Amino acid sequence: MFPLVARSRLLPMSLPFRYFGAAVVFQVAAWAMLFAYSSDFVSFEGSLGPAFAALHLVTLGVLAMTAIGATLQLLPVATRQPVRSLGAAKLAWWLLVPGVALFAAGAAAFAPQTMGIGAMLVGLALAIYAVLLAVNLLGARGMKVVVAHGWGALACLAALAATGLALVARYEHGVALDHGAFRAAHLVLATYGFMGLLAVGLSSFLLPMLAVAPAPPAQIAYAVLALAIAGIVAAVLGLPVPAALLGLAAAAMHTASLERSLRARLRPALGPGFLLVRVSWACLVASIGVALLMALDLAPARAALIFGLLLVPGWLLTFLLGVLQRIVPFLASVHYSSAARGTPLISALTPAPLLAGHQVLHLAALGALLAAALTGEAWLARAGAAAGLAGALAFASFFAFVIVKVRHHGIQPPHQPAPA
Amino acid sequence: MEFNRHISRRLHEEHDATLTLWGRVEATLAAGKSDPALLKSAAASLAHELDVHFDFEEKELFPRLAAFGEADIGELLAEEHTTIRSAGRRFIELVRSDPGAAELKPLALELAERLFSHVQKEEMSLLPMLEDLVDEEADGELTAAYTS
Repeated sequence: MFPLVARSRLLPMSLPFRYFGAAVVFQVAAWAMLFAYSSDFVSFEGSLGPAFAALHLVTLGVLAMTAIGATLQLLPVATRQPVRSLGAAKLAWWLLVPGVALFAAGAAAFAPQTMGIGAMLVGLALAIYAVLLAVNLLGARGMKVVVAHGWGALACLAALAATGLALVARYEHGVALDHGAFRAAHLVLATYGFMGLLAVGLSSFLLPMLAVAPAPPAQIAYAVLALAIAGIVAAVLGLPVPAALLGLAAAAMHTASLERSLRARLRPALGPGFLLVRVSWACLVASIGVALLMALDLAPARAALIFGLLLVPGWLLTFLLGVLQRIVPFLASVHYSSAARGTPLISALTPAPLLAGHQVLHLAALGALLAAALTGEAWLARAGAAAGLAGALAFASFFAFVIVKVRHHGIQPPHQPAPA
Repeated sequence: MEFNRHISRRLHEEHDATLTLWGRVEATLAAGKSDPALLKSAAASLAHELDVHFDFEEKELFPRLAAFGEADIGELLAEEHTTIRSAGRRFIELVRSDPGAAELKPLALELAERLFSHVQKEEMSLLPMLEDLVDEEADGELTAAYTS
């Protein structure tokens, strides 16, 4: 599938994998930052500092980085359109990686000017990506559901960049604006908007493909999109209760339709990654539930922190890690297929014990951080960050394993059923 | 995904049947059970897959993809056909001649994985592309050629 695109549309393995590789490194950096400054965690309210830096290492360095790499590879399959410029795709990576590093370093060091340079680089990278995405969507022929979600994500990306630059201008130049409103809009556009709509749209064909299951009905997918966009617009306009209700309806419908699809799968074993995907769905629904409680003034102490945890590491990061557990071996297998060598078996590129360990560590990290946010206990935050760091290192080992394995070949037939 | 061309639908139905059968094979072997009748059925189905389905794709479909500038897709799928054929022939031979062979279980599991992966690729790329490349007349010709 994907290399079909990669070959006929000349997207070499190094292109998506450079994005995935950078995301792997930034994930380690994010957890390391949180571990080093875990005492700041329970009092974090969104202001500059190491926790803010760790948050953006995840959102920009892991989530956006992976989203770009994955969509460059996956969208051409869904839209039957090639990536128009490999040079532009590479340039975006060369801008995004130093941009994220500078932005995070500036945030951690309370240095808005450094952050500003990083933000400009990130903005340029996202602008290049937005053009590539728009060109691809304009010529799209297949999978209209995915295309519609792509347009929604693109619109959110444009608004996200605008609000992000406005916030940096406030930090750097003291530009007067309604900081709370801009920050809330920026957060919603980045998470539920850009990342969320891409994740939801790609889920509608990627997850059934991985599970060998039928895709959810298109009408339901469009209904989810309409509800999600209405919720995002309401949130940006400062109407949190309608936004949360619309978002809850969209999230419930999305997860229910995919669960129904997975139940109809043709391959009994779901394989690795799907536990993380399911946990991420629970976190998505819970995040909106907490947002609703906050809007109704019914939320517990540190509700904003709990909300952020459920949203970013809980939903988006967990979902992405679950999907990467599957698509990294899959893509590597197809890229290294040749007439002389044959196609490497995906199961031989899937180190099951390592992935199981990563899963346990990641979920333990989430649990401990949520407990820290609920109780205000700093030691729980430190324990959670330690588990997260260990999990990120396990994930990095998995990524390195796949790269080394495909380069050395010598792949043996499996003696256990492979992941779907 | 909904397919409008007869040939796409026909291939899709065969893919579904293949996945259902090999899903059972995989689940049975993974549970440590033995089911000679199921393996015989899988071998018979695989023989049709290798001799009819694969041949048709290689002779009729991949050249059409190449003519439309999508040769690499056909090349990749043909490479997988070669690997699956090799393992598949061995599997069919073992089921017929030595169903108790220790080699049979890992070979069947390997085939199940390769077939799942291969069908996923065809469903996501080959069949949607046929929807674009094949007009009604060609659809009729291809369907007739496949079912003859």
